[in-house]
Amino acid sequence: MKRLITMAIAVIALGMLATVGAQEGHPLKGSWLGEWKGNTVHGDNILLILDWDGKAITGMINPGTDNIPIKAASLDPKGWVVKLEADGKDKDGSTVSYVIEGKIENLELPNRSISGTWSSNKGRGPFTASRQ
Amino acid sequence: MRARSRRGWCFGLCAALVAPLAAAHHAIVAKFDEAKQTDLRGIVTNVDWRNPHVHVFVNVTRPDGTLENWAVELESTVLLDRSGWAHDTLKPGDSIRANGPAARDGSRQIWGARVALANGRQVYNVTDKPPTVSRAQQKPVPRGADGKPLLGVADASGGYWAYPTSTVLQQAGANVRMNSDGVLARLSDAPRVAPFQPWALGLYEHRQERHLADDPGFLNCKNPGAVRQLQTPYGVQFVQDLARKRMFVLIGGGNRNYRIVYMDGRKPTGQVQGDDDNPLYYGRAVANWDGDTLVVETTGFNEDFWFTNGGLPHTNQLSLVERFTRTDYNTLRYEVTIDDPGAYTKPWSSGWELKWVEGELPVYFCQDNRS
Repeated sequence: MKRLITMAIAVIALGMLATVGAQEGHPLKGSWLGEWKGNTVHGDNILLILDWDGKAITGMINPGTDNIPIKAASLDPKGWVVKLEADGKDKDGSTVSYVIEGKIENLELPNRSISGTWSSNKGRGPFTASRQ
Repeated sequence: MRARSRRGWCFGLCAALVAPLAAAHHAIVAKFDEAKQTDLRGIVTNVDWRNPHVHVFVNVTRPDGTLENWAVELESTVLLDRSGWAHDTLKPGDSIRANGPAARDGSRQIWGARVALANGRQVYNVTDKPPTVSRAQQKPVPRGADGKPLLGVADASGGYWAYPTSTVLQQAGANVRMNSDGVLARLSDAPRVAPFQPWALGLYEHRQERHLADDPGFLNCKNPGAVRQLQTPYGVQFVQDLARKRMFVLIGGGNRNYRIVYMDGRKPTGQVQGDDDNPLYYGRAVANWDGDTLVVETTGFNEDFWFTNGGLPHTNQLSLVERFTRTDYNTLRYEVTIDDPGAYTKPWSSGWELKWVEGELPVYFCQDNRS
């Protein structure tokens, strides 16, 4: 059974690698899959959808019924520093204000990544995501 | 027995070297470091005559008497053939001297900037130049039944456009020094190349710092898009389908893709209902005549490729206005205005000329380095 699960994970991982699409435009544009570890409100896993309209970076966290819209986003080409701000809700409906700060690594690759930290009024921890 | 064993070793080494090299398509500066000039003297062991780059393998004797096999990389078979060279110009056993920049990765490879026989005779140098046309040979610009200039083949002799006077893109008047691949002489000149947005300038500089090693046109044989198609060394061929009011622009290299320009009055939108959100490598191009100039407007590009040599970024907001004028039988004037509010702060323009070459497009195929 363990072998079966390992094989299934390997196949899924290979499939994900194969589907990383080229993206030679704005470095943040695309889907990013990763972790904001220690997030007891919204879970450890995160999916970011980011876009660039020529003036602003827009997008959302965890698209779905409880998605969290990106409130503000910036990219500083000096060091490729990323900052994302978003307001989500916890189970009680209270606002959880997130700030994600990180740096783009392997900028030249389609599956480039962002490494840094996340923080909110409910906690903080390491953040990583790679472009899918 | 010993000789056969040595030959076998040599063949094995050459084969091991050839395997990755055969697929190694790249800008020269991406692979070789101009600061590492290297001078080799040795005996030719093999000539691998194939695209994208020819390789001559040479056994070089080290000071301690041991042999090292080096690869001397040269231009494509197309350019060497046009310059009068053949696969057997050099033969195994020939004594040669080769010099040029060595590989950045420290492997035993150099770019053969100069290769000469022991008697000093230079070989495999590229002397390819556009065909010269005497005034007596000048023909009038060919025209179709509608009186408009023909940009493509006028008769059975065939022909295509090549030898662009510029293979790089920069805004008119910038006069920034860069090599034919678009690598800047001084990185500090980057902001003058085009009116970049900050992120686009940062990405352009990053690509320059990496010597264009990530160019998907070389790495993955990605389509060149509209502008870069007019910068390729092996030319483009215009095939005008006057009956259906459209024109095919065929590329003389890469993976033999083509661009379609519609001249039937349609809008530059998706050709299939609901297809507008499917951006393309060549975008959606429509054209009209402005006197004797064909004006092509193109939108709907995807972001999966570099639209010009040198690594200038673009987004899917890119739109082009290109003006094609056959100023005489042998000359095509190309002017382009680039408008991409996603990557640049304002529209900007550039242009160059191409020369007419009789005959068929050269056979040259891109090879995917990552396949």
